[in-house]
Amino acid sequence: MISVSPSLRRHAVRVLQRHGIWLVLLLLLLVSATLSDAFLRPAYLMNLVLQQTPVGITAIGVTLVMIAGGIDLSVGAIISLTAVMCAILMNGESENLPRALILTCLAGTLVGAFNGLLIAYNRVSPFILTLGTAIIVYGLTQIYSGGTASGVVSPGFREALNHRIGGIVPTMVVILLLAAACGIWIQRRTRFGRALYLIGTNPTAARLAALNLPRVTLIVYSLSGLFAALGGIALLARAGVSGTYTGRGSEFDVLAAAVLGGTTFEGGHGGIGGTIGGLLVLGLALNLVNLVGLSFYAQLIVKGAIIVAASTTYEFVRRSSASLEKPAT
Amino acid sequence: MSATTQRLPRFAAAAAQMGAGVLAPGVELVRLGQFAQRSGIYLVLIALLLVPALWLPEYRNVLNLGQIVQQSAALAILAIGQTFVIACRMIDLSVGQLMGLIVVASCSLMEGRPEATIPAILLALAIGLAVGAINGFLNNRLRIHSLILTLGMLSILQGAIFVYTDRSVGAASPAVLRIGNGTVMGVPVTVPLVLVVAALAALLLHRTRFGLHVRVVGANEEGARRAGIDVARVKLPVFILSGVSAAIAGIILAGRLGTGYPNAGTGFELDAIVAVVLGGTPLSGGRGTILGTLAAVMVLGVTANLLNLLGMSAFIQMVVKGAIVIAAVLINQPRVLGRA
Repeated sequence: MISVSPSLRRHAVRVLQRHGIWLVLLLLLLVSATLSDAFLRPAYLMNLVLQQTPVGITAIGVTLVMIAGGIDLSVGAIISLTAVMCAILMNGESENLPRALILTCLAGTLVGAFNGLLIAYNRVSPFILTLGTAIIVYGLTQIYSGGTASGVVSPGFREALNHRIGGIVPTMVVILLLAAACGIWIQRRTRFGRALYLIGTNPTAARLAALNLPRVTLIVYSLSGLFAALGGIALLARAGVSGTYTGRGSEFDVLAAAVLGGTTFEGGHGGIGGTIGGLLVLGLALNLVNLVGLSFYAQLIVKGAIIVAASTTYEFVRRSSASLEKPAT
Repeated sequence: MSATTQRLPRFAAAAAQMGAGVLAPGVELVRLGQFAQRSGIYLVLIALLLVPALWLPEYRNVLNLGQIVQQSAALAILAIGQTFVIACRMIDLSVGQLMGLIVVASCSLMEGRPEATIPAILLALAIGLAVGAINGFLNNRLRIHSLILTLGMLSILQGAIFVYTDRSVGAASPAVLRIGNGTVMGVPVTVPLVLVVAALAALLLHRTRFGLHVRVVGANEEGARRAGIDVARVKLPVFILSGVSAAIAGIILAGRLGTGYPNAGTGFELDAIVAVVLGGTPLSGGRGTILGTLAAVMVLGVTANLLNLLGMSAFIQMVVKGAIVIAAVLINQPRVLGRA
């Protein structure tokens, strides 16, 4: 066995813990490239990112919630609501576009604020509460849309968002990156972001430090609703029409991306950068399965296996780094 | 004899306390709150059964009640299994798709043949047992959050179903159809089935050493370990129980649907979790009540039935169901300190 100095090992483990997902992504990319030239073409890679945009934008908000030790299962319902709502509000006219976008974002934020209010002031389990909200939102979506796909998008809406800048980078991917940058700025550079980590790590300490827990909770769930609304708009831009259950199940995709990126249920760990990495790994892996010639359904099996394998690896790395950080006896 | 003498003073003390409660209305209110929290779901169920009976003649019909049980039987069995998981402070998201897999597998084995009933039921139990055991084994070995593990398993099982078939296959045998829809002397077959399973589960959870260990591990895993409980040997059977409950529920559902519909189980896992929590088993573990779970399943079933009778659309029913979930969680849940 190669002998490595303990400090170097500790450093290596820490790098793995922080940036492991990007190493995995790089590895996957290399494997993909040897299997098919398609993965070397920027347009194809961008396509891959484009597919993941709605889930990715939504995952940014949910990651913030998870850092604070919460969970938001209502985002799938919010995506469904906002996608169909945006289409109905646009009603095929371009002058309706700004109003539709603003109202849609407002609706998502309101649903998030509803979650946040109830969780902040009653301190109930966010798991069940957001599940209940999801059921209500699905019902409201059905009532609002009459139970079928409805609404017509404004002319130019899809074209603008799917337009490839310089023939390569779609506008939506730029928006995803901007949203991620915005989220990373919140999590790293603001008091609010640091409060999230503290609340997730040690809520009692956060309370003793005189943090306004209810306010932070309210804001973070509202943000999650807002990002889910943006995800819904992105989904509409990709599909052009929206049914009433389009977002169903995407809360689990969002969770998978966040957990792959190193954000845990216990809170206090991970971040948006990792989530984006997890998102890309998931997208790339599923594409790879497709390329090998397995059906869409086999992708589900691979997705499940990746989720379990990745979180096992994280847990292992976390444990070994924890044991390394103990003072030597 | 000695038991009575011991019990009497305690009773007297309780009576005295209650008397004190009358003197101090604040205490009385707190006690009322605790009472409502403990038995809220039963009060809601009784209200839901009695109040509409005054206006709706259909509601005075006992047969209607039997029908509600029949419609909720699969969910009831699934939720009973999930009660053990949640009492042990874990979550099993894979049961819905597991049930779907069992519906598809058993129906395509039966193809409507009467002689294939027993093999199909054995196959269902084997699949439930195996997947539950895999969940439990991985949960113990990998030491990752059960939510993530079973989320992965949900995806894997869903993939497995759809790789096998993306449309309805096979047909339930006459005997299985009878389990799902039949009646014995006017009583749906599922009524005694659910009651027997619930009684066995309640005995297991409340009256056995295993049940005690499940709750102790749920309340404080580290404490349980230090008290000498082999935590892994508690968690493995809990997941197996959950898998077997999915198998029984799958057979009932196969009987109700009559065919192997690949999406049969989609969403059931969340309904089961909702029922367990509404029934009074907290997500934070340590406690569990099979009776409460059953009452919650009935509340969900009765509400849907009532809204149907009132002519409400399926959409409004969803809104009401969500509102019930939120209202119940606000009343029922123990407060979680901190945590956003």
